[in-house]
Amino acid sequence: MIRPERDLPMPFRAVWHALYWTFERATWQYDIMVILILAFVWLTPPDWIGDPMAHGQGPIGWVIGLVNHP
Amino acid sequence: MTFTGLVGATFWLPLRAIIALCVRLRIHPNVLTFTGVLINVAAAWALALGHFVTAGVIMTLANIFDFIDGKVAGELELSSDFGGFWDSVMDRFSDISLFVGLTYLYSTLGRTDYVMVTALATMFTILTSYTRARAESVVAKCKVGFMERPERIVLFMIGAFTNRMAAVLWVILVLSVATVFARIYYTWRALNDPEMQS
Repeated sequence: MIRPERDLPMPFRAVWHALYWTFERATWQYDIMVILILAFVWLTPPDWIGDPMAHGQGPIGWVIGLVNHP
Repeated sequence: MTFTGLVGATFWLPLRAIIALCVRLRIHPNVLTFTGVLINVAAAWALALGHFVTAGVIMTLANIFDFIDGKVAGELELSSDFGGFWDSVMDRFSDISLFVGLTYLYSTLGRTDYVMVTALATMFTILTSYTRARAESVVAKCKVGFMERPERIVLFMIGAFTNRMAAVLWVILVLSVATVFARIYYTWRALNDPEMQS
């Protein structure tokens, strides 16, 4: 029987652990997951995902705009 | 201490005081559970009207009741099988109410795409709790998967307070799908993998 948690090579194993979550709350793995989620929620420009209630480019869009038009 | 552990410890202090007050007043935990649901319905109403910050404030209040009912039951020695059952059913009622509010909002805005995202997130939220409940009738424990109720509640509040509900819905949807499949896979392995059985 294949056991992905030990048979998969990195970085696939990390992705596996993120989706097949077995860690407790308040662990460093949990902290990383929370930071990634908050980064997605707060940094993704609302226009990119067609947010019906929020508009604009958000922080990422602002940085891209700054790079394109310094 | 981890970052999330520190956040949890910070919120634990005021909650401890509210639990002590409820214990002193001998408020029955089932009443606390039901009050939380009623307040959550009000939050769903605010979401339906697009008043996200108001919804966030109401959700925060509702979830205090949601969080403390079990602790108050323990301290008053009123824990019971029915209390656990009542709490689980009311939790589903609260969850689905919030999704219904968002479904109404997006449908009034004519956004079929987000009506579908919300509907799918609702489906997999229900399946998240169902898969665990059903799995634990055949295996000892099935607690795999990230997107459980506390995570969902906090995400809803973050989405409401910061007006990022669409991104939050995507996170809830994707991680709920992952959680459901993780629980199916875990249960299959627990029943078929000799290494896990030993």
